[in-house]
Amino acid sequence: MEIGPILRALWHNKLGAMLIAVQIAVTMTVIINAIFIINERSRLMARPSGLEEANLFHLTSVGYGDDFNEQVTSDDDLNMLRQLPGVVNATAVNAIPVSGSGSSTGVRIDMDDRTANVGTAIYRVDEQVFDTLGLNFIAGEGFDVTDMRYRSSAGTTDADKVVMTEALAAILFPDLTPNEVIGETLYTDQVTALQIVGIVERLQAPWPSWENVESSVLIPEQFLDTYSLYVVRTEPGQRDQVMRAAEDLLAGSGADRVIRGVNSLEQTRSETYGADSALSSILKTVVVTLVFINSMGIVGLAVFSINKRRKQIGTRRALGASKFEILRYFLLENLLITTVGVLVGAVLTIALSIVLTTNFNMPAMAWYYAPLGALALIAIGQLAALGPSVRATTITPATATRTV
Amino acid sequence: MLQMNNVSKVFRTDTVQTSALKDFSLTVDEGEFVTITGPSGCGKTTFLNIAGLLETYTSGTYLLDGVDVSQLGDFQRARLRNEKIGFIFQSFNLMPDLNLFDNVDVPLRYRGMKASERKPLIENALESVGLASRMKHLPAQLSGGQQQRVAIARALVGSPLFLLADEPTGNLDSNTALGVMELLQEINDKGTTIIMVTHDQLLAKQSQRNIHILDGRISTGDQAEALAPAAEVA
Ligand SMILES: Nc1ncnc2c1ncn2[C@@H]1O[C@H](COP(=O)(O)OP(=O)(O)OP(=O)(O)O)[C@@H](O)[C@H]1O
Ligand SMILES: [Mg+2]
Repeated sequence: MEIGPILRALWHNKLGAMLIAVQIAVTMTVIINAIFIINERSRLMARPSGLEEANLFHLTSVGYGDDFNEQVTSDDDLNMLRQLPGVVNATAVNAIPVSGSGSSTGVRIDMDDRTANVGTAIYRVDEQVFDTLGLNFIAGEGFDVTDMRYRSSAGTTDADKVVMTEALAAILFPDLTPNEVIGETLYTDQVTALQIVGIVERLQAPWPSWENVESSVLIPEQFLDTYSLYVVRTEPGQRDQVMRAAEDLLAGSGADRVIRGVNSLEQTRSETYGADSALSSILKTVVVTLVFINSMGIVGLAVFSINKRRKQIGTRRALGASKFEILRYFLLENLLITTVGVLVGAVLTIALSIVLTTNFNMPAMAWYYAPLGALALIAIGQLAALGPSVRATTITPATATRTV
Repeated sequence: MLQMNNVSKVFRTDTVQTSALKDFSLTVDEGEFVTITGPSGCGKTTFLNIAGLLETYTSGTYLLDGVDVSQLGDFQRARLRNEKIGFIFQSFNLMPDLNLFDNVDVPLRYRGMKASERKPLIENALESVGLASRMKHLPAQLSGGQQQRVAIARALVGSPLFLLADEPTGNLDSNTALGVMELLQEINDKGTTIIMVTHDQLLAKQSQRNIHILDGRISTGDQAEALAPAAEVA
């Protein structure tokens, strides 16, 4: 093939080729990093919370007045909700995964060694929580009614059982299997001893970007204050109508309280991840725009350089070049320019990725992004150059003698 | 070697129809040096393009080296051009971004030869036109006469059956033109057939045989007769 002469000819026409190569390098740098960020966000958004989100909604009840009795109201509410047609189960919890608000604590297995505390989300729940949220036990079991404790938020807990996530168990007991962990004792910051009775496969902490997002504990206790948060699981497909019915039901129950924050879990998730979705959309637009501009630049350069060389092309045809050889010449020329562009682009891509990783707390880009991006840009370049190159093959050999 | 019988060429556009060649019959034998003359627009380039397989013709027959070229497809015509024909153009048609070596290399690359085979051929061709020392130069660094010599080297490098030249001296001053003409004579003396279009009556007189075209036909009139004795003198 004619790589040597093409390179030498390009060398005499450096400027145009170099501008396109630089454009390709910059395009690659931006779009590969953008795609990495988009993928990273999608990966974060796609992590399961551990809940059967599609059929869940939640609502809060805030009581007022001196006569308000949290425990009675809460029990009544849950009973009413569970009897509502279309409801599978309902539970009272202090926080919801993915919602962005909740509590955390430090837990350890050696009572005296506070430095060994592991940060974890803490869910204060009732015994119906596992069934309602759809949590999946991999060892042990949940709570029953006799495990439940009620206290004021200022007091210390006298709950004595705990369920934790598999991820937290793996941190605390790296050498034990989930079944071996059952029966071990866990200490919280309040130096309360909790017996581990169950391990669930997954239950995310309420803060999706928290580093310990997979670490959660569930404790069978309820705070007695005026605030209750209920999560309701409905039959498939009935969530929205049950949600409205539940709101009406509780609001009309006669208790001194207001019902607020009626929301499906899907809605809560999309609000929590709203900024991420928006960023992804913007970056997708940037990627599409840059690919378009880049392709137009390549098409432009190809059209320009082919029009400028009509007589040369005719002469090459006269000297024996087949149409295919003309096509190959221009595709090869594009390939060489693009290759220079993506080689520079790969270096810039990795450099930008390092800057983003060190300054913006992003994970490191996987090794295959740069080479895959390079291949994609080469493919885009060849596609963009294909049209003009095919047109070049229609230049007749007589152009050699018929043009001045 | 080259045999045209009643070849006609009609250019059709939306509005007009031009008969560039009319019942054109010509046979050129191996070793001949034929010049083609005639007024502007009479069909000289058209004849040369058809002879060189750069253009197709409308009717008649053309046998190149015994092969009926009307049956050939685009790819085969390109192969034949590459292997049998050397082209020399009025404005040289060198690749401005390639040095002389790469320019002469162009037709050989389309022949699919190895670099080691091409190199001595290119050096010999440039040697034979007296430009072996300028191989790394770009065309723009040469005079017009030198550029045309490079083009001649490029036409010769593949040892074609014949050379087709369309006013090869048209862009050169008369002294330089004579030099190029001498070179072509030398090449012809060594056995290469040459068909050359020219406006220059003096150059035409030097050739063995002059074909005068008038309005798409070979003229048997006065001018051709008049040139004939002169050609014998030369
Ligand atoms: N592509 C074309 N389309 C239409 N007519 C054409 C085309 N090419 C040539 N012609 C016409 O064919 C006729 C012969 O043209 P040709 O180029 O062969 O003349 P020529 O003898 O080479 O002239 P010159 O000495 O000026 O080069 C002219 O009338 C020209 O206008
Ligand atoms: Mg002409």
